[in-house]
This record gives sequence, C-alpha cells and structure tokens, in this order.
Amino acid sequence: MALRRLLLLGLALGGLGGSGGFAHAAEQPRIDVVAAPAWKGWSRPGRTTEIDVRLNADSATRATLDLVAGRQTVHTDFDLQPGRGLRLQMPVSAAATIVLSAGPAAGPQQRRELGIAQSESPLLGVGLASGEQVTLEGFHSIALAADDLPRNAAAYSSIDALIVDAATLGALDQRQLSALLEHAAGCGRVVVLNTDPRLRRVLEGARGCGGQALMSAASPAAAKEMLEASLAASQPAPMAPGALAELARPDRAVWNQVAVALAVYLAVAALAIMFFSSFALTLLVPVLACLAFVALLQVLPAPSQLVVWSEGESGAPQARYAAWQRFQGVARERRRVPMPPQLASSAQPCGTGPALAFDFDARSARMTSVEFDTRLFRQVALCYSGTFPMSRALAIEKHAAGVQEVRNAGTKALPAGVLLAAGRVHHLPALDPGARVTLVAQSGKSPRSAALRTAAARAPADGVAALWELELGGVASVPADSKGWLLVSVPVP
Amino acid sequence: MSEALDRRLAAVTGLALTAAVAAWWLGSTHLALDQGSDASRSAADALQALWLVRGMAVALLSVRGGAVRGWQHAAQAAVGLIAPAWPLLVLLWSASTLSLAQVALMESLLLAAALVLPLLGLGLRRALKQTALADVAATGVGAALLAALWFARGA
Repeated sequence: MALRRLLLLGLALGGLGGSGGFAHAAEQPRIDVVAAPAWKGWSRPGRTTEIDVRLNADSATRATLDLVAGRQTVHTDFDLQPGRGLRLQMPVSAAATIVLSAGPAAGPQQRRELGIAQSESPLLGVGLASGEQVTLEGFHSIALAADDLPRNAAAYSSIDALIVDAATLGALDQRQLSALLEHAAGCGRVVVLNTDPRLRRVLEGARGCGGQALMSAASPAAAKEMLEASLAASQPAPMAPGALAELARPDRAVWNQVAVALAVYLAVAALAIMFFSSFALTLLVPVLACLAFVALLQVLPAPSQLVVWSEGESGAPQARYAAWQRFQGVARERRRVPMPPQLASSAQPCGTGPALAFDFDARSARMTSVEFDTRLFRQVALCYSGTFPMSRALAIEKHAAGVQEVRNAGTKALPAGVLLAAGRVHHLPALDPGARVTLVAQSGKSPRSAALRTAAARAPADGVAALWELELGGVASVPADSKGWLLVSVPVP
Repeated sequence: MSEALDRRLAAVTGLALTAAVAAWWLGSTHLALDQGSDASRSAADALQALWLVRGMAVALLSVRGGAVRGWQHAAQAAVGLIAPAWPLLVLLWSASTLSLAQVALMESLLLAAALVLPLLGLGLRRALKQTALADVAATGVGAALLAALWFARGA
C-alpha cells in the first residue's frame, strides 16, 4: 500500500514537472528573423549601409535586436504581436561582417551574420525594371530592385551613382522616396529615366548642387552619357568631418579646473609640510586630496560642443550640412548622451574612436542616444550629415572697376552676414526683399577666423558667396556651446 | 639633521617630483586637446614617470636612511616621499587606459619597497658594524638599485 502511494506520488510529481517543462517551453515565443542589407549587400569601406530586418512572433512578446558592425552597435527594444510582423531599417557602418542578434527580451537570442561586399571601385546602382545593365568605366554596377533601395538617406553613402527608372521609382515606398530626395538634395549623382512630369518636378524641387547631380534621361545609353559627363565635371565635395573639428574651439574648461585643483593641492601640501612635522599629517593631506579629486571628477560637468557647416546655392530649396559633435570626458565611466532628434537619423562614428552603442527607437525609426566608455580628457565625436530647407537667394550685378551690386532676389528678408569675393571678406547688412548693397573689391578684408577661412576656401573661385551664422536654437538637445554656419554660393553673370 | 627635518625633506622631494610630473602632464594634455589627439598616452607616460622617479628616489634614500637612522625613521621618510603623488595618481588613472588593479599593484610595490629597503640598510649596518662604512655601502647599494631601475624602465 505504502509502495503504491509512493509510486502515485512519484507519478504526480513527474507529471507536474513535465507539465511545468511544457509550460516553460510554451512561454518562449518563436521569433522569425529575416535580414537583408541594402544595395544587395554591396558597399564601400568606411561608408554607411542599412539592414532591413523583418520580425514575426507566434505570441505577444517584448523583444530586442542588436546589430554589431565593427566598433558600432545599434540596439533596439520593441513589442511583437502575433500575426503583425515588424520591419525595421537600421543604418550601420558598412563593416565586412555585421552580426545581428534578435530574440525575446529575456530569452535566447538568434544570431545571424550578414556579409557586406566591400567594393574597391566606385559603385553604380542600376534600378531598371527591364533588367537592363548599364556599365561605367571604373565602376562596379549592381542591378537593383525597388526593395534594395534604403529608407535612410545615410545609407546612400554606400553608392557613388544611381540610375533608376520610372517603374522602380513608382515601386518605392514613402520612406524610400524621401531618402532618395534627401540624397539628391545632398548632391548625390542620380539619373532618372522616363519619369512623368509630376515626379520630375518633385525631384527637381529637391536637387542640390545647382541641379548638376540630378539628371533626367530618356534611355539607359543617355543616362550613361550623362553620368560620364557629370563625373568629368567637378562637383563641390561635402565638408569633411576633420575640417569641421578645426572650426570647433578647443574646450579647456575641464583642463583649467583640473589644473587649478592640482595647484591648490600642491600649495596646501607644501604649507602642511612647512608648518607641521607630524607623519600622520603627511599622509592625511594626500589621502584627503585623493577623496576630493574623486569627488571633483564626479561633479564636474562634462562639456559637449556641436559644429554645423551647411552649404547651398542661391535660390536652391535645400542646403546640405555636415555636423560634428564632441563629447569631452571627465571621469572614467560609461556615458549615455541623447542625440539631437533633427540630426540623429544620420548619426555615425567619426573616424576611429571608441566603440559606440546607439539606441534605436523602433517607433520613430531613428537613433535616440549613444553610449560609450569615457575618461578624463577623452574626446569622443559623432558625425551627422543631411539636408535642410533653405530660402536664401542673392543676385549679383557686375559694374565697372571691381564694383558689384548684390541684391536680395528672394521673397524673405536676409539677416546680416558676410560676403566673400575673390578671397576677401565684406560686410553684408540685413537685406529686405529686393534691397541692394554695393560691393567694392578693394574694400574687403582678409579672412581671419577659422570659419571665414573655411568659407573663403569653399567659395567658388570666380564667384561670390555669402556666409551667415546659423541659429541653432530650434534644434532640440543641442549643447549650449554650439556653432553653425550657412554658406550660399552666388553665380556671377 | 634631525629626524623631522629629514622627513620633511623627503616629503618636499616627493611634492617637487609630483609638481614636475603634473606640469609635464598638464602641458602635454593641453597640446593633445588642442590637436584633438589622444590624451591618454601622456597620462600613461606620466604614470610611468611618476613610478620611476619615486622608485629611484626611494631606492637612493631608503637603504642609506635605514643604515644611518634605523628602519622606522627611514620607512616613514620613504612613505612621506611616495604619498604626495597619490592625488595626481588619481587624476592620471582617470585619464589613462590602465586598469585600477595595475595602478594599485605598482603603488603597492612602491610602498613595499619603502618598507623593505630600509631593512636592507639596517641589515648592512648590523653586518658591517661600522656606521660610516655602512653609510658608504648603503649609498652604493642605493645607487646600484637606482641604476637598475633606470636601465630596466623600458622592460
């Protein structure tokens, strides 16, 4: 009898354990992950690409996704619902291998490795519904379908030229089209084939670099000819992040505070040695100073600085910008900083720096913050690029003997700035629409500040350019110590 | 020289070495910040310099101090020479890539040397039984240790 009871108890316990095990297995949702890089997996060393991830779950769950590309990590958390797939397009550095991990927030992660082909030659994307191939000398051509085009403008840095026809354009979703328009506004070389007048007007409204980079052709052969002609002509190069760093003022606030703290300590220690002979005091002063220094490093504010340089052509609807944000370290710690929302979609590490972990918001499809290891005096930089709407138009009229007349040809008043002509700097007063100012070549001054020297170097050699300081007050989360400039080149008749 | 003066002199030496290394580190960090380069290298170099100069000073003074004035007095003077650099050490560690364990280990070794080397001097005095001879021998041993540290600095 006792044996029978024992057997029944054993079976009951086994059953409970078994059902518990099944329940545990049932708790783990199954997540299907499909990932594909943009541009059919092609990119170039040091560029940015995009990973398109599709996720499906068989039950409601909180899930995480991590992309590791070299020293860059992108992390996102999101909710998955059964039968409602989620699709994310995340911009990442185009490392040779990108590792993707996805799974339930508190469960096993699935791991995928995505290879990115690193082309040594410039890349030509060919998105023709007919499947026709176009080749350019020295370029590697990639045949693309509409879905191979990215949703983040930053990922367009992977390719050097694009030919796309009306059918492919028509198959693009809203985000793909926005990214393409932003790329065109940022002087990306794009040839569109057989587009209808309405779409052509939209594209022309967004084109940058005086329309040199966005071309319209009737056939692939004509597109090839146009691209060859465009490549033969020089086009203004975007501002390099290194050059932006030169525009930033070196931040010595932390250095000054550390130097003062050290000087105070040395003075106090010297006085203690002179006036007290106690051995205990000889030890007490440095020990107390150690504690004070540890506390000082914890309370010192960590400074950050943002520099924005933007350029456009007079009358163009868009200006392209490059921005550089520096974070200076104070203590040895893991630091998380929010990114300006208006700039965050194109945030990238600047050159070689520490490993950066970006937080990606799945709902707004943009980066929200970045985390990195920092230490005293360590400078970590982030780079941003993109376009913004602009409404500044100037017209130049040449008169005799080096006298030029500058007119506000736009419909909005222009703030005061400077004019750069033939390497000389002239004051530009605020101009109402239609107002004029006369420019005498000999009256200019030589450029003194770093911003003026940069503007003079980037202004057209035979033209005139206007430089204004940008008001960055409208950009959320910008550091107090931020500077921005807008350089508008004006063609001289 | 009185014991208190001797200890003060050691503390002033330690403070002067700290001030010199601090000035060099702040200067090179200033340049690194201006050029946008990595400031951690100069912090690591300053840490090495701080350990080397204090190690050499302890080697030179502690053995002789132990031989002439005894262990307790020499050990106190050596610790008094080492201690003024600790606050700078905190800043240098914060600016460098060295781990806390590495810095703590090096500082512990230096402290151990400050306690052990006077014993060596004391041993010399007891072995030679003449203070003047022990003074010369201890100075010689200290100089040899100093030279050994200098030549082993890159290793």
